[in-house]
Formats: sequence, structure tokens, C-alpha cells
Amino acid sequence: MSQAVATPSTTTTPARIVVDAASKIYGAGASRIAAVDRVSFDIHEGEFVALLGPSGCGKSTLLNMVAGLIAISDGDIRIDGESVAYQRANPKVGYVFQRDTTFPWRTVSDNIGYGLELAGVSREDRLTRVHEAIAFAKLDGFADHFPLTLSGGMRQRVALMRTLITRPQILLMDEPFGALDTHTKLEMHKVLLEVWERERQTVLFVTHDLGEALTLADRILVMSARPGRLKESFSVDFKRPRDAVALPETKEYAEAFSHIWHSLGEEFRRGAAA
Amino acid sequence: MSRETLTVNFWRIVQLVAILALWQWGWTLRQKGVWVIPQVIDPYFISTPSEIAKRFLELGCFTDRNGQWLLSTDGAFTACMNHYPNNLWAATYVTMKNTFWGFVVGSLTGVMAGLALGRSEMLTKIYQPYIVALNSIPRIALVPLIILIFGLGDMSKIMTAWVTVFFVVFFNTFEGARSVDRDHIAAANLLGASRWQVLKTVVMPSTLGWVFASLTPAVSFSLIGVIVGEFIGTERGLGKLIVEAQARAESADMMVAIFVLMVVGIILALGIGRIQRYLLRWQPHYQDRG
Repeated sequence: MSQAVATPSTTTTPARIVVDAASKIYGAGASRIAAVDRVSFDIHEGEFVALLGPSGCGKSTLLNMVAGLIAISDGDIRIDGESVAYQRANPKVGYVFQRDTTFPWRTVSDNIGYGLELAGVSREDRLTRVHEAIAFAKLDGFADHFPLTLSGGMRQRVALMRTLITRPQILLMDEPFGALDTHTKLEMHKVLLEVWERERQTVLFVTHDLGEALTLADRILVMSARPGRLKESFSVDFKRPRDAVALPETKEYAEAFSHIWHSLGEEFRRGAAA
Repeated sequence: MSRETLTVNFWRIVQLVAILALWQWGWTLRQKGVWVIPQVIDPYFISTPSEIAKRFLELGCFTDRNGQWLLSTDGAFTACMNHYPNNLWAATYVTMKNTFWGFVVGSLTGVMAGLALGRSEMLTKIYQPYIVALNSIPRIALVPLIILIFGLGDMSKIMTAWVTVFFVVFFNTFEGARSVDRDHIAAANLLGASRWQVLKTVVMPSTLGWVFASLTPAVSFSLIGVIVGEFIGTERGLGKLIVEAQARAESADMMVAIFVLMVVGIILALGIGRIQRYLLRWQPHYQDRG
């Protein structure tokens, strides 16, 4: 894994996701609110970008526009040069929700294999791949369990595997570990880092947790609240592969944390006053 | 058996025995001056358990009028069955058959209409006033009309059961289809599901719990529909048995039919319960019971 040392985010690989002055406006006239206000940024092939900001700053709205779940009011978002169409799934894109969206009426293995089933993958191939995913997510022995009998962390692992099994080249994640306790969250970071360091998907990861963003991302975009604008961008140059448990103990981590925290601090004060 | 179930079963049996005993001998006691026993216990009205059991065996062609067992005599059972076209067996079969088909047709159409309207704002808007209007009609009021149209045979009973069952299942399915988790649909869409696939793999399974909540009452409704249909006009069935016995003021015969109806209702409800437990096995409260 010697070549896995982190490459700085300034490499000139082609941009896979281009957000070009994208806006989301709700209401009109006096009650007009810009949830996302002319935000622009690029994400390059294989880059892991975290979108960080206080709650209500429009980061999830922005992500959902990239996913095509919310219509864009103004501006453009392109994936591989093609404008994102509202409510049209892109097979290259995988999405992970914050809320538990595993299907309670499907067993763990049927949940994970759902995307393959839709794509018409044969039962045999499906089972092989589901089996691998279950082993990887350390869900052995739970293949035939129904989600409501599992813990929140296990359910989120099922949801993550359900998305990953279709091998999306682009991953959009909406605070996927936001509802988990610290310990479970760390477990999930380990799982995600392992997958990403192997497959190097292009990732846009929304979070309000600076520590999480530092552990995972190559670059952190900080959003400001109301109107939702892009405030600053920080590149995170910790070596890869990263150790989700050991990394937060390092001096570099502490330095990066306080550096970005300062920038966030202004935002949080503003957000709290609003 | 745990101590608790033992206690529960003990008191259940005590109650049953007490009620049957009162029913059997209460009238005699009243005549001996135990005035607290009400007038309604008169066997003319409600018969007695022993008389009901006796009539049950007779109507079922198990025994003849003298209490002779017919099953042991060659051909006697068949002869008895042929002699009474609306014997207990035939009546039960006809009533159960019509209840079943009324239930199946009513539930299927109720589910289909519920899914269609529950997933379409437009259809809901168009049909809402009609549904409110039709649902305001007491279904039983339609029975004479249904019999006029479909005749005295099975079809009119199935139609009666259908109109009583349809709306029960429809409203539940409609609510269920409207309350499907939007994120579940979004998740399916993001994984590439087509409209039909979303309906099949998300909307239908997620609505199933709501559908089943209406199926147990739907069975009872279907049975009610069929029986009322049989009261008003039919050649066979338990409802027919009841009206005929009423005309002859034979309370024991009515009680036999009522008893059989109770058993039929229990069997149908248990069947639904089994299917429900299997199809909704993903819901935790069904898993506890294994």
C-alpha cells in the first residue's frame, strides 16, 4: 500500500462534479429565501470532499441538488459534463441517507442485494456479491435478519452496503453517521475509509462534525448559514491510509482542527445569533 | 404451561361451565322460585345447550330424530344428506364459499383501488366526492337490489359481500399507500428503480401492514354480507337455515346455525392471522411470537 500516500487535492485530474453558481430559492418576493446562494466548486476524480457547516446552512439541500432529489432553481450542476436532471437516477451515483432507509420488510441480504435485483443481476451472482458485502461489513450471521431487529449502527452498515454493492463511482453522503454514537461512528469511519482507499470513489460527504470531516476528507468546504454560501476551502493532507482511531490523537490533526475551528467559530456565532 | 396461563385457563373454563350450567338449568330454577334469573332464559327463546347439541347432530345428519347414529348405518348418512338439500353441511359449505369469494374479490379490488388512488393526487381529487357518497350508503340497503339484479344464487351473495368488504379494505390501503416513507421511495429511485419497481418493491410491501389491519374486520364483514343476503333471498346457506327456523320458532336450530357461523368466523380469522404473521414477519411484534 505504498502508493496509497495521500495526494494533495490540487492534482489536475478531471473534475467529475462541477457545481456552477447553483442556487436554491424558496418562496418569492419578501419571503424569498436563498437556501443555497450561487455556490460553485469542482470535485475531481477520486477526491473525497466534505461539505461542512451549521445545521440549516443548505449543505444537505446542495447535496440533494447534486443527487437530483431537489430541483435546481438557478445555475447548473454537472456530473461528468452532463447536467443533473431532477428526479432522474444516475447509475454512476450512489447516495447514502442520514435517516435509516433500509427496507424493514427485506432481510439484511435482500436489502443489500436490492440494487442488483433491480438491475436484473442473476440470483447466483447477487448472492455471491451480497455474501462478500456482508462479510466486509461484519454482518456475518445476520443475513436473514430483518432490519428492525438490528442496532442503528448495523442498519446503517446495511444501507451503506446497499449503496456500495452497485459499485457507484460517485458517492453522495448526507450526514450518514449523524445519528450514531461516537463509538459506532468510529467503526463506520473505519469501514468507509477501507472501502474508499480501495476503490477511490469521488465523494461528496455532508457533515456538521469537523472531526469526522478531518478524518475522512481530502478537502473541506465550509458553508455559511443564511444565505447558504461557500465560505472557505481547506485541504487536508494527512497521509493515507488513515487510521480513524489513531489520527485524532496526532499533533497535525489537532492543529488542523483548531485552524478550521476558528473559521467555523465565526459561523457558529453568526448561526446562533440568527 | 406457566403459572399465569394456568390461572387464565382455569378461570376461562370456570366461566364457560357456569354459563352453560345456567343456560341449561336456569329456567328450571326460576320456576322453582329463584326469581333473580331473568325471563329471557326461557328455552323458548334461547333453547338449552343439550337441545342445541341434539339438533346439531340431527341437522348435521350425524343422528336421526331418535338419536340413532347414522354414520354407523350403511348409506343412512348420504340418504339424510340428500333428503335435506339445505342440511348443515351444504349450508355451511355454501355460506363459507360465498364468504370466501366475496372476501377475496372485495379485498383485491379494495387493495387495487386503494393503491391507485393512494399514489395519485389526481385520481384522489377526481374520485373523492364519489367515494364519500358511495360510502355513505348503508351497504345492507343495497341487498334487495343486488338480489333483484343477480338472482337468488351465489352471485348475489358474493356481490353483497363485495360491497361490504370493498370500502373497509380500500380506505386502509389508501391511507397506507399515502403514508409510504418518502425516503424509502427516494432510496429505491436512487438505486435505479422504475415506477413499477417502486410500486412492487416499496409501496406494496410497506402498505401491507395497513391492508392486513383491515382484513380481519373484512372477513367478518364478508360473512355479514353473505348472511344478510341469505336472509333476504336464497335457496341455501346458514342464513336460510336461520330464517326458516325462525319461521317455525325453533330457537335450537337458530342457535345451531349461529354456533356454526361462530366457528366459521373463527376459522377464517385464524387463517388470516397465519398469513399475516408470515407476510409481516419483519415487524418486530410478530417476531417475538416466533
